[in-house]
Amino acid sequence: MQRLIKWFVITTFFAPAMSMAAAKIDAIAPDFTLQDSYGKTVTLSDFKGKYVVLEWTNHLCPYVKKHYGSDNMQSLQRKYTQQDVVWLSVISSAKGKQGHVDANKANDLTKTRNASPSHVLFDESGAVGRLYKAKTTPHMYIINPEGKLSYAGAIDSIKSANPADIPKATNYVVSSLTNLLAGKAINKKITKPYGCSIKYKS
Amino acid sequence: MIKDIFGTDNCMVKLIFIFLLVFSCGGFAQNSATGPHIEVSLVSETSQLSIGKTHWIGIILNPEQGWHTYWLNPGDSGEAPKIEWHSDAIEFGNIQWPIPKAIEVAHLVNYGYEGRTLLMVPITLKEQSLPHATIKADLSWLVCKEDCIPGWAKLELDLPIVPTGQSIDYSDHQALFEQTRLRLANKPFIEAKFELSESHIALQMAWPYQSNWQIFPFRGDVIQHNAAQDWTQSQDVAQLVLPLSDYFSSQPDSLKFLLSDGGSGYYVNALPNSPDFIRTDNTASKPIWVILVFAFLGGLILNIMPCVLPVLSMKALALSSTECKSHWGYPLGVIISFWLFAAVVISLKAAGSAVGWGFHLQEPLLIAALAFLFTFIAMMLWDLLPPSVNMSGIGHSLTQGSSFFSQFFTGVLAVIVASPCTAPFMATALGVAMLSPAFETWLVFTALAVGFALPMTLLPMSSHFAKLLPKPGAWMETFKHFLGFPMIATVVWLVWVFLSQTSSMGQLWLLSGLLLFALFIWLSSKMGRPFSYIFMLMAVGIATLSSMKGTHITSDDQQLGSDQFSEQKLSQLRNENHVVVVNMTADWCITCKVNEQVAFKDDALKALFEEGDIDYLVGDWTNKNTTILNYLKQYQRSGVPLYIVYAGNHSKQILPQVLTPEIVIDAIYEARKEINNATSN
Repeated sequence: MQRLIKWFVITTFFAPAMSMAAAKIDAIAPDFTLQDSYGKTVTLSDFKGKYVVLEWTNHLCPYVKKHYGSDNMQSLQRKYTQQDVVWLSVISSAKGKQGHVDANKANDLTKTRNASPSHVLFDESGAVGRLYKAKTTPHMYIINPEGKLSYAGAIDSIKSANPADIPKATNYVVSSLTNLLAGKAINKKITKPYGCSIKYKS
Repeated sequence: MIKDIFGTDNCMVKLIFIFLLVFSCGGFAQNSATGPHIEVSLVSETSQLSIGKTHWIGIILNPEQGWHTYWLNPGDSGEAPKIEWHSDAIEFGNIQWPIPKAIEVAHLVNYGYEGRTLLMVPITLKEQSLPHATIKADLSWLVCKEDCIPGWAKLELDLPIVPTGQSIDYSDHQALFEQTRLRLANKPFIEAKFELSESHIALQMAWPYQSNWQIFPFRGDVIQHNAAQDWTQSQDVAQLVLPLSDYFSSQPDSLKFLLSDGGSGYYVNALPNSPDFIRTDNTASKPIWVILVFAFLGGLILNIMPCVLPVLSMKALALSSTECKSHWGYPLGVIISFWLFAAVVISLKAAGSAVGWGFHLQEPLLIAALAFLFTFIAMMLWDLLPPSVNMSGIGHSLTQGSSFFSQFFTGVLAVIVASPCTAPFMATALGVAMLSPAFETWLVFTALAVGFALPMTLLPMSSHFAKLLPKPGAWMETFKHFLGFPMIATVVWLVWVFLSQTSSMGQLWLLSGLLLFALFIWLSSKMGRPFSYIFMLMAVGIATLSSMKGTHITSDDQQLGSDQFSEQKLSQLRNENHVVVVNMTADWCITCKVNEQVAFKDDALKALFEEGDIDYLVGDWTNKNTTILNYLKQYQRSGVPLYIVYAGNHSKQILPQVLTPEIVIDAIYEARKEINNATSN
């Protein structure tokens, strides 16, 4: 009974309150402010008028390595930042957990991996990750120029850690952005993400 | 290269990792491999294989203490192991997944295995000519503690093949296979129902036995894996309401789950929940010709149903005594009546309303009309009718004699009187017809009609069949009188059905009506003209009056503490400034039942309801009705549950589809406050 009450309290009182704010497809994406790897404060709503990609990442996760080791993620970052899309890599790993890095280490990773995100953002508390219900690394989100969430889910269609699968898979970020930039609708607005669990503060 | 893949971090660890990968992926395939934190191996239950037998092989995943591998649905993150089999001589079955456990990582939940796990696969030998069979497996896995490490290995096993009949030895791994069999879920599947609301999924099933059950969905995008699973139980069924996964998109035809209490497991196949009268159960999978054959046989059987037999027997007797010219009237009458019925069904279905055979029996007015018809037929069989309406069913000229039209209307009458008997016997075929495309519905009805019409069509057609008919004589009268009793039996049943649709007062109206109807007809038969006609008219009058009156006295049987919903009642209570709680429910709605158990049976809420200023209106949508449908439409709903709390005429709150007592109580307090504020101003 105790558990029942607890669950109901959580799901019925917090969940609606949270879900009002939480990310939902085709609704205004929840705003947030985080520090980037250069100490700059970055606020999502500042990018209104542009497409924004959110990429949850953890450089030690094999699924992230799959996409960085093959230059897949970086090439997407280069391709879309050149087209005036804002690319935000978010790290929600808690202090002491896998993937948690300081600013220097983050910049070092960007340099050595030849990555081109617009910003690398730190979400140590996991608040933004929870707001977006981010579950895995990688977990991808696309926000349209009006600030609405257009896509949330996996980076591509083959759930594996094997880089050999990348060419065989449909990349959902590419297919979604291609359609969006051409003014067309996306057919899969939401997919189940795959990867390592985000190493949230427990 | 190494740096490219892994970055610069923990280079030493990565080098070891790479080494292990190369080691396990390398050319020298063997039956076991080691990856970081895990050992994997390919094993067989038997040391040899023989043709014509199912053998078992498997992959052992043996992670280090604290590390785990995954079930077929890994949950919020992770990845199930994948095996690609290669062998020329062998056919491979599916992986038999042992029962997993839920592994919590922060607020996320995974489904998997800690400790040594065997993924068993059945195999059969295709070719015996070879001396041995080589089994190759390309295995990929993910092993996690909190961090995750993927691995790949090529495993190979060579097993000798022995001739059929020769004894086979068990391998050293046989004990593990036996242990693993105890960790497999039971087959066949338990049947369950699921119901989707905007944010939740409700499940209903009968548990195999009382225990602390947990469900694991096969698909990763159905439920929120971290939601606590709290079951409710009513009678023999258990219900569970869970928040839908954020990734849930399409409306599935069926959902598969594993039900486990940690010890044993059962597979569950859940089908969409729908009202009882449109459920098909297992019939939907039968091919159409099977259904048509059943419909035809059902039609044949209908001829000997108590409500049809008397009509047809009379007709057969008439046929045996007179020479018949036209053979086609009767079957045409039957078929056209069935087609009309099919047309009604198809058009009603097109109009969006789900109907079932016997749906016309849900209308009490029709029940009453049928009761009068059957009483009339019984009286006719007992020779209690005035001479002017002798013997025939509905009017001498319509069905009596052997003209085309009389035969045609005998057919029509036969279909009408057959309908009460049809429902229980024809449920399968008709259930399918109701849910099938228009053409199939039409086919089913036609098959039914042909089966129904066949015996009476063949009877007069050939002298051979005609010889089968008994010779006319005095016994015909006796037999005819006897046939009146099945008619009255049908009336008894109809009157009983009428009670459940209306009330005891309504039934009294109907029974009195039937009595007066019989009396007037008997009087009519005893009187000469014009009184005969007057009494006949009075009989028709009383039949009409009593069925109308009886029908309008509907049931006042209500749930304790609640009132039956009506728009008038609602607006009256709102005008009186009451707090009104409206609950739209149906017997077949799982979510409604769970809410009624969890929320409306709560003591605090019950006490609140007893305080007097709160009215609780329940609308029961178990049988479709337009009052409730219109109300639901006002709130852009097409189904139940719907819960609304009104603060008089001031405001209303639509409550979520999944309730707790607190939600209802808070809404009531809110409504009360609003009324108090409004009145004090």
